[in-house]
Amino acid sequence: MRTMVLPVLLVGWALAAPAWAQSARTSAGEGDLAVFKKACSGCHKWHGGGGGGYGGEALSLRKTQLDKDQVAEVVRCGRPGTGMPYHLRGAYDTVKCFDSLKADMGTNMPPETAVFLRAPEIDAVATYVVTQLKGKGEPTLEECTAFFGATSRACDIYRKKEGSDAPSALH
Amino acid sequence: MTKTRNLRRILAATSLAALTAGAPSAAPALAAEGGVTQERLLNADKEEGNWLHHHKNFAGHRYSTLNQINKGNVKNLKVAWTMHLGGIEGGGIWSHGGLEATPIVENGMMYVTDGWGSVYKIDTRGGEGKLVWKMDPKTDREWAGAVACCGVNNRGVALWADLVISHTLDGRLIATNKETGQVAWQHQVADPDKGETITGAPLIVKGLAISGVGGAEYGIRGWIAATDIKTGKEVWRTYTIPGKGEPGYETWKGPNNAAVSGGGSTWVTGTYDPDTDTIVWGTGNPGPDWDNAYRPGDNLYTDSTLALDATTGKIKWHFQHTPNDPYDYDSVSENLLVDVGGRKLAIEADRNGHAYAVDRTNGQFLWATPFVKKVTWTKGINPDTGKPFEYDPNKDVQRYNPAATPSAENKNADFCPGNMGGKNWPPTAYNPNLQYWYIPVIESCNRVTHEAMTQANLKPREFFTGGGPSQPFRITGSVTAIDVKTGKVAGKHETQFPLLGGMLATPDLVFTGEPSGGVMAMDAKSLEKLWEFRTGGGVNAPPMTFTVDGKQYMAILVGLGGAWDKWFIDSTPELKNIQTGSMLYVFAL
Repeated sequence: MRTMVLPVLLVGWALAAPAWAQSARTSAGEGDLAVFKKACSGCHKWHGGGGGGYGGEALSLRKTQLDKDQVAEVVRCGRPGTGMPYHLRGAYDTVKCFDSLKADMGTNMPPETAVFLRAPEIDAVATYVVTQLKGKGEPTLEECTAFFGATSRACDIYRKKEGSDAPSALH
Repeated sequence: MTKTRNLRRILAATSLAALTAGAPSAAPALAAEGGVTQERLLNADKEEGNWLHHHKNFAGHRYSTLNQINKGNVKNLKVAWTMHLGGIEGGGIWSHGGLEATPIVENGMMYVTDGWGSVYKIDTRGGEGKLVWKMDPKTDREWAGAVACCGVNNRGVALWADLVISHTLDGRLIATNKETGQVAWQHQVADPDKGETITGAPLIVKGLAISGVGGAEYGIRGWIAATDIKTGKEVWRTYTIPGKGEPGYETWKGPNNAAVSGGGSTWVTGTYDPDTDTIVWGTGNPGPDWDNAYRPGDNLYTDSTLALDATTGKIKWHFQHTPNDPYDYDSVSENLLVDVGGRKLAIEADRNGHAYAVDRTNGQFLWATPFVKKVTWTKGINPDTGKPFEYDPNKDVQRYNPAATPSAENKNADFCPGNMGGKNWPPTAYNPNLQYWYIPVIESCNRVTHEAMTQANLKPREFFTGGGPSQPFRITGSVTAIDVKTGKVAGKHETQFPLLGGMLATPDLVFTGEPSGGVMAMDAKSLEKLWEFRTGGGVNAPPMTFTVDGKQYMAILVGLGGAWDKWFIDSTPELKNIQTGSMLYVFAL
């Protein structure tokens, strides 16, 4: 994997107003799982642990060292030189990313997402990453049912693992 | 037929049968003919207007002798009728389902599936389509969709007696009453808790429903299983990765106990040779896909063609295409059984970019030829051995062309064909008169980033791939014809996009569809395009043809799903504009 030093913060990022957080579907500041589900979980996995797969070699969001603004920046702008796409319409085109436009990026230009996110969605998903995934250990039954719901067998392997003391599920 | 005592569960199917009660139904005369037997399956080609097998006949030819639609008049082909289907809902990691099924037609009644495994019975008489019933299996979408590597897919049904036999992504085999749409029985054959899913259509041989499994990206141990349709009981299950003490186990070396998670999935429907009572079935990649140092040895029987005794499931012979595969080059493709030049062949278009012929009586290699424009992982296939020239039987870990091989020393590797292969599941077709074999080709390269795996990475329901692909290169497609008499490429019709649907051959035509929406007919010999219709959706399923009321129709499902629009779309950015859909198109003159 080619490496590139990323400027971690876009100081003065015009759209980075805290008003987003209020308009996003946040619950008690936890961010928005629905956005994570549609835009991130394919490659970073439902639990954010990343790793290999058909979506590429995605980094672990549970082990990330980035803060919320940095996560939001990577969501907006992608990660140059890797498969992590940019999710902000107009990035590198009408809006500079990492102080660059498309022409400056050459082969490091990240791919464009198939699912553009609105600014409040980017804020909400960054909140979700830093409050719900960052720093977490192995995925749990509770996290699994939060993602997949309680009526599917998708979390049965965690039920088996966590034994009869685990929270009961509607199954 | 409706015995239930040996079955795990019975479900009350959602059925439209009740809603359509009172409406005109199948004519009694046709219904009486409806029982499908081994005799009828053996002679499926004699029922010219029907399409009884997934691959049209046991030999997998997808060749119809119908010729009302021919190269002289195909330019007049028009939409006769359409029908919207369902199944586009998301589940697991998937935002939507797609359509990959081949319609089955018996006496004017069509049976198709959507990606979540709902079965639709459609009355095609009278120049229009009427839904007779829909059987919704209530697939556990999250359970299955979270471990389906490559989309919400189902490739169709099979018929036996008065039953429609189908699979679901969450691993069930279901028998549905053909007349009523009620579920007669169902049986869990694959386990999504282990990362197993089912996307293929069943193959029916002598009353046994043969099922294959997907999941080589999730550390499964692949298998092929046979269920007695009469009792719903499993008769045999043959693992594609040998167990301790079995022949081939020695091809899994090193400290990782790699055979237990060795992959070797079987997710494409195979073929059957009645002369020798042999099922010929392809197997998928070894796991982890791109870290072949994790699993030193040839890794039998991954990336292989397997011949199984249909009665016992015992392996008769095997032929392996890409030993110790570091690319994800499944050999799951259907093996067509053809007789050419006095020899009995099994021919397979492999994901590794080469078309192979082996003697189907013993698995002996005969020839291989590249069917893609660009191959970089090997200099070619050694005509004496059938193995890649660089293959060294004394090495436990193969590097082939090291610059094009992902490894710890080559963390980012570009190789061609890309990991989705020169040809993926979309089926080929064979014209027995011309002895031309038509391959739907993905002309591709891509990049894989290698990740070294340890046993700690192996977890249930988690990808176990040893890295992942990205798509820095544009990918196109072609229909490539192989002259099976010579084993050489006889023609190539290039397409802007990869071919993700599959082929149909008729006496003087070849049909296929494109993910950008076009359905087209080509001259069987020159591959010149003679007709095209833009469906406005993405074609991800094979065309088929049938007659009803004495008139020939061509049918195809349209609804882009599968792996492409999630994992490979960056190589075909225009396809981002293709909308989700679920539609049956039927064409006639």
